[in-house]
Amino acid sequence: MIRLLRSVSVRLALGYAAIFILSSGVLVGILWWRTANYLDREVDAVILADTQAVADRLHDFGLLGALETVRDRVDAEADEHAIYLMADPSLNPLAGNMAAWPAQIGERTGWYEIGMARAGRFHATRILSVVLPGGYRLLVGRDVQDRVVIRQTILGGLAWAIGIAVVLAIAGAMVIRRGVLGQVDAINRTTAAIVRGDLSRRLPTRDSSDEFDQLSQTINGMLAQIQVLIEGVRNASNTVAHDLRTPLTELRGRLEELLRRRPPPAEAWPEVQAAVGDLDRAISVFNALLRLAEIDSGARLSGFRDVRLDIVAGDVADLYGPVAEAKGSELVFAAPQPVVVRGDPDLLAQAIGNLVDNAVKFSPSGAKVMLELAGDTGGDAVIRVADAGPGITDSEKGQVVQRFYRGDAGRGKAGVGLGLSMVAAIARLHAGRLDFADGSPGLIAILTVPALMQRGSGRGPATAHPPPQPVASPR
Amino acid sequence: MKILVVEDNERVTQFISKGLREQGHVVDHAGTGRDGLFLASSEKYDVIIMDRMLPGDIDGLAIVEALRATGSKTPILILSALAEVDDRIRGLRAGGDDYLTKPFAFGELAARLDALARRSQGTETKAALEVADLRMDLLAHKVTRGGKTISLKPREFSLLEYLLRHAGQVVTRTMLLENVWEYHFDPQTNVVDVHISKLRQKIDAGFGQALLHTVRGVGYRLAAE
Repeated sequence: MIRLLRSVSVRLALGYAAIFILSSGVLVGILWWRTANYLDREVDAVILADTQAVADRLHDFGLLGALETVRDRVDAEADEHAIYLMADPSLNPLAGNMAAWPAQIGERTGWYEIGMARAGRFHATRILSVVLPGGYRLLVGRDVQDRVVIRQTILGGLAWAIGIAVVLAIAGAMVIRRGVLGQVDAINRTTAAIVRGDLSRRLPTRDSSDEFDQLSQTINGMLAQIQVLIEGVRNASNTVAHDLRTPLTELRGRLEELLRRRPPPAEAWPEVQAAVGDLDRAISVFNALLRLAEIDSGARLSGFRDVRLDIVAGDVADLYGPVAEAKGSELVFAAPQPVVVRGDPDLLAQAIGNLVDNAVKFSPSGAKVMLELAGDTGGDAVIRVADAGPGITDSEKGQVVQRFYRGDAGRGKAGVGLGLSMVAAIARLHAGRLDFADGSPGLIAILTVPALMQRGSGRGPATAHPPPQPVASPR
Repeated sequence: MKILVVEDNERVTQFISKGLREQGHVVDHAGTGRDGLFLASSEKYDVIIMDRMLPGDIDGLAIVEALRATGSKTPILILSALAEVDDRIRGLRAGGDDYLTKPFAFGELAARLDALARRSQGTETKAALEVADLRMDLLAHKVTRGGKTISLKPREFSLLEYLLRHAGQVVTRTMLLENVWEYHFDPQTNVVDVHISKLRQKIDAGFGQALLHTVRGVGYRLAAE
């Protein structure tokens, strides 16, 4: 029973039934109360009128007149719904359709409701007992058994209503269980399967876009994210092993050879210097991994503030411009209007810097690298970094953001292969994304971050856009 | 300089102390937070190197906070294996003047110590900075060498200003990135070197004496000799 009560559907059904019963009870109760009230007032009015009539006769015509009136009334009431009894001060009946003064009333006056045996049955009867001038007593009553019948009818109806409510509640519970909670069960089963390790499972979704469908879609999105992360971790542990082992292996080899050969110091120092270089490479991999973990953990969210992305991008262009120049290339920066985003300026600079760094690295000497910032109509800030390099294939576009991925073009170049995963992680942290498109030739990296607001919509001469300015030009 | 090293790791202590003594500094060492706090508050040091995580009940940050609470203005460089931004901010907020993440190169540590000590000595505002015949007028925002005006872009100006303020000292690439560009990340490429060589073109090329020197494996130094 307790287990049954834990089920949401049973609790729903019971609650449903309780509310149904309560509401129909209130409804019937109000109906009953109003009806009974009305009937009571009607009966009371009639009784009062009869009593007044007898009293008037007593006043005008004396006892005989009053008794005559009582007899007339009794005669007129053939159906015996009415009760009249007039008695002397010591309660001996003088006239009326009752054999004796009722003992349960006695000498008291006022309104009473008593059961009276009439025609072999007890009938509920409303009675007014008064003392008339001269000490005479009068009892006027009306049979109100009708009201009892009405009450029984209503109570019977209420019982039916409760019965139907219970049936409906059970039926409703079954419908809820089969329909709505069935989906919860599906979610439950799927997530249980995922907990057991089957990460490829997804919740069934329909296009109804009701709450459960939305929940399913959100959970599926979460699962996709988890899968990416877990695969990233798997991938990382393989590639961490590679990228860390390589410098460590070289370092070990160098040191061991020094130990074995024991060369004169003049020969040894360059080797030691190279050993420190190996270590620095390993350390920079560690640092990059830690920074990635820090970004992914969301710890940097606490440092978020409003950032002028055009200024951040301009500073990055300023930083990397001379690098392009040294390669004989040109970095062209264009940010036609101020763009404000919510974020961490240091991380945003790093993301843009990594993209520019890659673009410069992969562009042939003498080529142009474009860094453009635009405010999108959808309220997004879009940073496009276009190079004139070899580009990447469509299949590679998903892989380049994976940790330690090195495209064919990237082999032999400096860097640890974490640059683009860093950009992707920074984009994710800023609720944005990193996409790639084909340039002609080359690759266009597109970093999208939600913009807060954009001042200077470009209307009017005051906000006329300056033409793209070359930050660095080849000499 | 008289330097206090509060660090529990023997090897790291030895590495730091030896290096600093070779540079002519006097080095005291404390292996626990208690000793560190005692030495730091009873002796006068030019600069303190404080490891963040120390054995015992007093950690590095608590010592820094305690020292600052007593009004000590001795520059403190915090050493830590924690690299997250939060940790860095916490360290600086506790009263540290600089923050260096382990593992580090000795040259980086030495350069930062020099900068810290220099900063605590001369804080008076100058109208002009000079090395040999290179002169930077901070008010007019003008740079001349041997009387000849040199035109610099804004970032080149601030780069040269930083070098001039630390004239005679070694400054590392990381110090330049942090102080001139205000970046706290690894830009992957030798961006600083490229900017330095551009600056060198402007202030050294065509003049008899080179002022901007490369210190191998560490960084740069702007000096007359």
